[in-house]
Amino acid sequence: MKLVIIGNGIAGNQVAFDVRKKDKNAEIVILSAENVPEYDPCSLPYYLGGECRHADVFRRKPGDYAASSIDLVYDSQVLSIDPESKTVTTRTGENISYDTLVLAHGGDLFIPPIPGIDNQGVFSCKQLAETEKLAAHNGRSAVVIGSGAIGIEAAEALKRKGYAVYVIELMDWILPSLFDEATAGRLETELTGYGIHVFTKEKVIKIKGAGTVTAVVTNLRTIDCDTVVVATGVVPGTALARTAGIDTGRGIQVNRQLQTSVPDIYACGDCVETIDACTGETAMFQLKHNAIEQAQVVARNITGEPARYLGAYAFARAHFFSTHAATFGKTQRATDCILGDKRIIEREDGKNYLRVVLLNNQIVGGQAIGTFADGLGLLIGAMWRKDDIMEIAAKMRKTPKGGAVHSWPMLRLGNLLGF
Amino acid sequence: MIACSMKHHGRIDPGLSRVDVIRLTPQELDVPVICMACDIAPCIKVCPMNARIRQANGTVVTDADVCIGCRACVYICPVGSPKINPHTGKTMTCDMCQGETEPWCVAACRQEGALKMCTDGAISKNSARQAADRSRKTYPRK
Repeated sequence: MKLVIIGNGIAGNQVAFDVRKKDKNAEIVILSAENVPEYDPCSLPYYLGGECRHADVFRRKPGDYAASSIDLVYDSQVLSIDPESKTVTTRTGENISYDTLVLAHGGDLFIPPIPGIDNQGVFSCKQLAETEKLAAHNGRSAVVIGSGAIGIEAAEALKRKGYAVYVIELMDWILPSLFDEATAGRLETELTGYGIHVFTKEKVIKIKGAGTVTAVVTNLRTIDCDTVVVATGVVPGTALARTAGIDTGRGIQVNRQLQTSVPDIYACGDCVETIDACTGETAMFQLKHNAIEQAQVVARNITGEPARYLGAYAFARAHFFSTHAATFGKTQRATDCILGDKRIIEREDGKNYLRVVLLNNQIVGGQAIGTFADGLGLLIGAMWRKDDIMEIAAKMRKTPKGGAVHSWPMLRLGNLLGF
Repeated sequence: MIACSMKHHGRIDPGLSRVDVIRLTPQELDVPVICMACDIAPCIKVCPMNARIRQANGTVVTDADVCIGCRACVYICPVGSPKINPHTGKTMTCDMCQGETEPWCVAACRQEGALKMCTDGAISKNSARQAADRSRKTYPRK
């Protein structure tokens, strides 16, 4: 069997090495658009900020591939797939045949059509090569466009490097898809406290500069800067799948075995559209743990072991300087278009904050800052089990003091929720 | 906790212990929280630095050289077991004192016998259920 994997990211490598563990004879080829072994995009902001060494971003060494007899081909971005003849064509014009193909090329950085975005001094923080350029860049003042997780982490890293940092967010509050207004407002105050300027509800109209960036113009102000970081989100790479006639929605559409609509082609990682494991809704969570789980299912299916993907889940953390926050499940805004009895449980203790989103007395999401976040895993468990919160509150009132050790998970959960 | 901090840090400081005992004040209950070394450990998957590593004896520990103290493993953990080292801000979990004949906490508790080292299969599901039943009878939920 010849297995060709497009993409040398987390998902692609997980498939390759998992298949190799089960099948010693398969011919495995990874086609990488870049020229380095597997690295972790989550680590890049920490490398940028000097918190970890360059070597620490890599998940594998070049020698690991040869040791597992996996053929890693650098600089071969795949441009088209021909499912009739079972071949893929790379940028260099090479045709490579396959028996089984795995699409794990991930997402592309969304580059907004802002005039002047191709100036010198405009960077991104999603790929290693770009981040290396940004790390080598010597600037004094940086504007980060977009305040998603990557944007906030990049802002922290640049602040650590001594830049004056401005974050511009188009939406109402920072980290708009992860946190609700109340939580994001607190995080914004913290960010401002560390000396990072945050401007929400502002639109970048133009990046000024003739060849090199000199300023960023928004609808409200002009900020002089010599560095711009574009962190406006990641869109799934569906263009390649369409060349093979694979069905795509927001991402590549797959079944529960993660097969695409074309036989012998699987897809996993940031490029697929999956379902939410908890609610069964169509969802896109482009997160590392989902990529790993999807890749494991693909590898098992390829090696002939039937496996069913149970779905993705949302879990993310926001961490800058000494502020720690985490979020899981739905935000209040995400439940706005669902019918049902909705409630919010809020707890506050100094800078620590907990916000739990309830739908029909079941936890569907939550956000926490500081010490409340330490018990977030208990809330995630309650969301999976679909625990009835009213029932827990009633049991908490009846629990005798001392003893009752068997019910400690419920007691810890109840205490966290303040029952 | 004293034995744990002694073994891993060479000093008596419960704050450095990898085994935690949480006090639930309203219920007057002390709950031990220890890394369960999940078979499918979510902390390994969510760590941005890939610092959570499964050891030969099955336990999952944090590589302190790589950890940047983002606490993702604490937040995803179903019991919130990783402890934060108050001096470095990095996380740490129970490694069952790998390389020793038995964990130091078990050795320290030999007199009382509250802690025991069990091998895989030594506790059958049945005996665990029976113990839970006894606890329920003594302290009924309702």
